[in-house]
Amino acid sequence: MVSSGASSLGPSRRTLLTAAGAFFAASTPLRAAEPPRLAAIDWAMLETAVAIGHMPVAACELIRYRADVVSPRIPPEVVDLGLRGAPNFELLQLTRPSLILSSPYYTRYEDRLRRLAPVLSLPFFLPEEPPLPKAMAALTTLAEHVGDPSAGKVALEQTDRALDAAAARLARHSDRPVALVDIGDARHLRAFGFDSLFGSTLDRLGLTNAWTGKTAFSFMAPVPIERLAKMPEARLVIVGPIPLQAQRGLSRSVLWQALPQVAEGRVHQLPKVNAFGGVPAALRFAGLLADTLDGRA
Amino acid sequence: MTATRTILPLAAAAACLLWLLAARQLPLPGWPLDPEGMSLGQIRMGFGLMPRGVIALLAGAALGLSGAILQVVLRNPVADPTTLGISSGAQLALVMATIFAPDLLAGGRWPIAMTGGLAAAGLVLTIGARRAFAPVTMVIAGMLVGLTASAVATAVTLAQGQYLLSLVIWNGGSLVQQDWSGVRNLSAVLALGGAAAGALARPLRVLSLGAEGAAGLGLNVALVRLAAVVLAVAVAASVSAELGLIAFVGLAAPALTRSMGARGIGPLLLWSPLVGALVLSICDGLVLAVEGSGGEMFPTGALTGLVGGPLLIWLLPRLRGSTPPGTETAEGTAPRLSCPGRLLAVVGLGLITAAALLLWIGRVPGGWAVLDPGSMAAFLPMRLPRLVAAAASGAALALAGAMLQRLTANPLASPEVLGVSGGASLGFAAVTFAVAAPSGLMLTSGTMAGGALALALLLAFTARRDMPAERVLLAGIAVSAFASAVLSATMAVGDARSWAILTWLSGATSTVSLAGALSLAALAVAIWLGGLATSRWLSVLPLGPSVSGGLGVNLRLARLVLIIMAGTATGAATVITGPLSFVGLMAPHLSRRVGLVRPADHLTGSALIGAGLMLVADFGARMAGFPYELPLGLFATLIGAPWLIWLMTRRPG
Repeated sequence: MVSSGASSLGPSRRTLLTAAGAFFAASTPLRAAEPPRLAAIDWAMLETAVAIGHMPVAACELIRYRADVVSPRIPPEVVDLGLRGAPNFELLQLTRPSLILSSPYYTRYEDRLRRLAPVLSLPFFLPEEPPLPKAMAALTTLAEHVGDPSAGKVALEQTDRALDAAAARLARHSDRPVALVDIGDARHLRAFGFDSLFGSTLDRLGLTNAWTGKTAFSFMAPVPIERLAKMPEARLVIVGPIPLQAQRGLSRSVLWQALPQVAEGRVHQLPKVNAFGGVPAALRFAGLLADTLDGRA
Repeated sequence: MTATRTILPLAAAAACLLWLLAARQLPLPGWPLDPEGMSLGQIRMGFGLMPRGVIALLAGAALGLSGAILQVVLRNPVADPTTLGISSGAQLALVMATIFAPDLLAGGRWPIAMTGGLAAAGLVLTIGARRAFAPVTMVIAGMLVGLTASAVATAVTLAQGQYLLSLVIWNGGSLVQQDWSGVRNLSAVLALGGAAAGALARPLRVLSLGAEGAAGLGLNVALVRLAAVVLAVAVAASVSAELGLIAFVGLAAPALTRSMGARGIGPLLLWSPLVGALVLSICDGLVLAVEGSGGEMFPTGALTGLVGGPLLIWLLPRLRGSTPPGTETAEGTAPRLSCPGRLLAVVGLGLITAAALLLWIGRVPGGWAVLDPGSMAAFLPMRLPRLVAAAASGAALALAGAMLQRLTANPLASPEVLGVSGGASLGFAAVTFAVAAPSGLMLTSGTMAGGALALALLLAFTARRDMPAERVLLAGIAVSAFASAVLSATMAVGDARSWAILTWLSGATSTVSLAGALSLAALAVAIWLGGLATSRWLSVLPLGPSVSGGLGVNLRLARLVLIIMAGTATGAATVITGPLSFVGLMAPHLSRRVGLVRPADHLTGSALIGAGLMLVADFGARMAGFPYELPLGLFATLIGAPWLIWLMTRRPG
């Protein structure tokens, strides 16, 4: 690492100086005509920015984001800022953001972010509050902050249209409640309640969430699988892949096989969706749910 | 065992009652169980609740047996799979397998858990063997190995960047069942383990006469010890693999058995499994009762974990055989420098040079760069605080470690086992869960308050009894055990806040302000001055309480003052580095090895070396995975652990 570093010292130093020089240029007041340079700490905010057509110049944990979230796609030129829990402040400064997108999860270092650029921190996930309306409101708020309110309006209308379309496709499945779960191991799952992004989207799509029990901040985990017996009518929708070991365990489990949802073939599985995302994640979830229940996945 | 005649039946009745309370809502299935003709309720009963009730008994018995064997063979009343790091070793192995080679798990979790548990046990025993298996030292070594294993597991989970639900569940130790396969596996393990323990009972009884006597009677001492430990680990690892982490049942069962009057190895091995089975059944029954009344699902393992801390405290006064001073000087005679001042000056100068250098160089996208004055002005407000904070926390931890090692005459004493870090973590967790969007200041205050509370507890405990200093460490371990149990319970509830706690647990300097960093530095300096002022105590205390008492040292006062100083330093540093770093253990040893023997020199050298180590760790943490900043405490652990293990397992002299 060190030897390769020594050889690249020259050019990278120039890179840094140019970047640092540009940083000082940027600290003069921003002209309104310039496109905003967004840096996203929070993934839901990242998705919101993408939804209004303003791709951030930098965002956190892109390696994992690209692997887990799949869509929306983040182009390779977006700078990876490192872990969300510990973003690289020096790199963040080098990317000269004009607005940093954060959320209340990261309040503990918001002061430091503020020293680099203005911070917009919007809450998406609060206990006992459905996140989808907040995610949709974030479209408008963010669009106003980047000086492009029309983009927010367009995105909001598109979202509503897409959700309406998905709701229409799903209408014929509204006869049964839907249990949204994520399988942990062969004995436990976590259930997405009304204050999760998926639960809240389900509501918007006109379907009933079978999980009416308590939720612990968006979902309840881990719940023993036998709880599913208390919602025999429900369609069981598994969000994301089932761990390899759990697959093996479930296929052998007497209880799992005896669950009415399993015995009567009412189990559906969705690909990976970001459970803590913004509007794009909600739309991806809605689309995948409609495809899967229609048997087109 | 008169008490057993009343207590055991009562406990059994309570366990039955609690289970029936949960079972009354479900219809009884016919016998034999045939899922074809059963209603869902009957299946939940016959393949859910019934195996759960049985497996609680089996797992409790297995853990009780494992704990009893370990306690007998190590002659250590606080040995159990949890305190010796066996469970954490199994956990680390399972985490690694889940993430890097999920196919390995196809053959079941058991071989992997077993490998990890054996490796951890082997390490702890090797460290212990150099120190005559002294009970407290074994537990401290177990704790350190366990902490390291958990730290590595945390690092790997963090690097994975996502919440691994199955691992969290495993950590919680849930007894939920949905068929009889677990019961079959564990009953086989228990039967084989019980038979093996029966075969070992006689050799173990001979061994209890003392290793020399036993060898004289023609017993292969090493073989018996090895067989007993492998048996205990195998039994505990089976429970780990089947159900997850169920802490402290192996500690509680033999302890309760002994308190009920069981004397001798035979009765202990016989009754401990029974008591363990009842303990775990009652715990699980309570969990079921809470769940049935509409409460939240709470893993049983987390509940038994809560018992561990208080239990250790209860056991402390019964602990005989503290380590005599002198047997713990594993370092041998260290070289003594004639002119330590010069060395200290060189180390100090090197530290300043390194700090200045690290201010100037760093990675940027595409390579490395040296800052010019212009960029320096832009970067200084970000780099300076974390450099100062890292160095100051390193120094503070090193000072705390040096004081503790001298106070307790135990080379394994380290700030991590003082319990202050555990309390601090609890404070952080409490704020995270109590406030929706906590600010940095609130988190810092919460962390400080938690650490202070743990320190107060520790002080109250040490002030109450006139006990050997190293039992202070055990009290600290009890507090730490309690803290980690509460933390894993909160983790098991599992949401984004758990993630924040997990991130913090591994330490980060990135959020510290310059004011915070400078106040930490000021504190480190104050502790250093305090240490210098008490250097007479520090030079006499390692000779043992009787010598120090004879030399006119007020033992109680000396302990109180030193623990307050060490605790304050640890608590403050924890805010920056997270609860684990090992710098507090490493720096004093390094300092001694370079020849700084006199207390004042030793303290100063430790502080400088600690600061340097932490600077290096901070630099490495920021640069190794650029732009991903690795947690500082974790990075320091990963650097320090191999060296420490080498040091601890080396033959003295």
